[in-house]
Amino acid sequence: MYYIHKIASITHQDSFNQTDVNDSLVEIAEDTVLISPDYKKYVLPASLRRLSPILRMAVAAAKECQEAITIPVEAISVGTALGCLTDTEKFLNVINTVEGEILSPTAFIQSTHNTIAGLISLELKNHSYNMTHTQNNLSLEMALIDSMLCCDEGKEFVLLGVADEAIDFLNKLKPIVLPENSIVTSGTTFFALSKKKSTAEIGFLACNSIIKPKGVEVEIVLFLRELKIEINEIDRVYTNQNSLDFPKEIVVNYEAYSGLYFTANAFGVHMAHDWLIKTAKKYALIVNSGCNNSLGLILLKNDKAQN
Amino acid sequence: MSELKEKLKTQIIEQLNLEDLTIADIKNDSPLFGDEGLGLDSIDALEFIVLLDSYYGIKIDDPAIAKEIFHSVDSMADFIESKK
Repeated sequence: MYYIHKIASITHQDSFNQTDVNDSLVEIAEDTVLISPDYKKYVLPASLRRLSPILRMAVAAAKECQEAITIPVEAISVGTALGCLTDTEKFLNVINTVEGEILSPTAFIQSTHNTIAGLISLELKNHSYNMTHTQNNLSLEMALIDSMLCCDEGKEFVLLGVADEAIDFLNKLKPIVLPENSIVTSGTTFFALSKKKSTAEIGFLACNSIIKPKGVEVEIVLFLRELKIEINEIDRVYTNQNSLDFPKEIVVNYEAYSGLYFTANAFGVHMAHDWLIKTAKKYALIVNSGCNNSLGLILLKNDKAQN
Repeated sequence: MSELKEKLKTQIIEQLNLEDLTIADIKNDSPLFGDEGLGLDSIDALEFIVLLDSYYGIKIDDPAIAKEIFHSVDSMADFIESKK
């Protein structure tokens, strides 16, 4: 087990530093906006002015997790599907329109995917293992597997996180690349992970990322069989799938609350974690099946469960 | 000249994302770099090089003189005027 000692999410929900993120959820609508904390509490104004929304929210969430565990993390593992889109778009526009020969450095420096993990390292003054995983909608799963391996190697605490941001251009990708009725949003979720038990005793039991799955239901059965868990032992399923072979009353569509970004399944994990605390149930499964014929499966377990 | 300085301040605020500052907050003779002034850093110096190139068509070939040019709004305006 890889126990979750702290979760911090900044999303279009009022999710940052809430005791139970499920308490204040509202369904995402076209006009919802990212609900940001006061970033000046997390980043010095001189640095803050350069940071795009994705960098601001990732640093704030990462710092919340680091502060909660007090001892420095020994690895930072970040997943992002599309990276720093605001700065990338800005930089490309400058290339396209610039009249002089010199390009603005800031947008260029901050347009790479690994800016997020790098900046967190600088802000935390933490020079330990630092990795960025970019695997489309499986970016959380990849970063999580890396974090689990880091814990297995003996690192006491690992900072795991995801971040993705929306820009207007993404709406132009509908309906070819993105679903026509989707609401494109931004979001970040960070976790402080350890093999050491957390107070809540809830953690990641297993994770699998599958390219070209045989079928969602088939893969779920295989995944659970490997863990020697029966399908009817699953108490809740968080998914972005419209139809799954589970009783309707236990299935929650996390995308209805997160909106669409390719690492939104991390918000599904946050919802599942808080639900397990509240109900004292044992297992929550996060099923992430969005695009590119891939499937991510994450199982959360509550050691304090009463069933 | 004062018109140029006001324009320069607007461009500095925009180019460096100094969102909390207004033109009135930037004094003509205050140092732009270091703790005494606006507290700008080396990346901002690169942004100034881009600013002079894109808005005024001026290239700084000798990095050694950049420190003097970018000392204050006054020194930047003097430099731009001298290149006209």
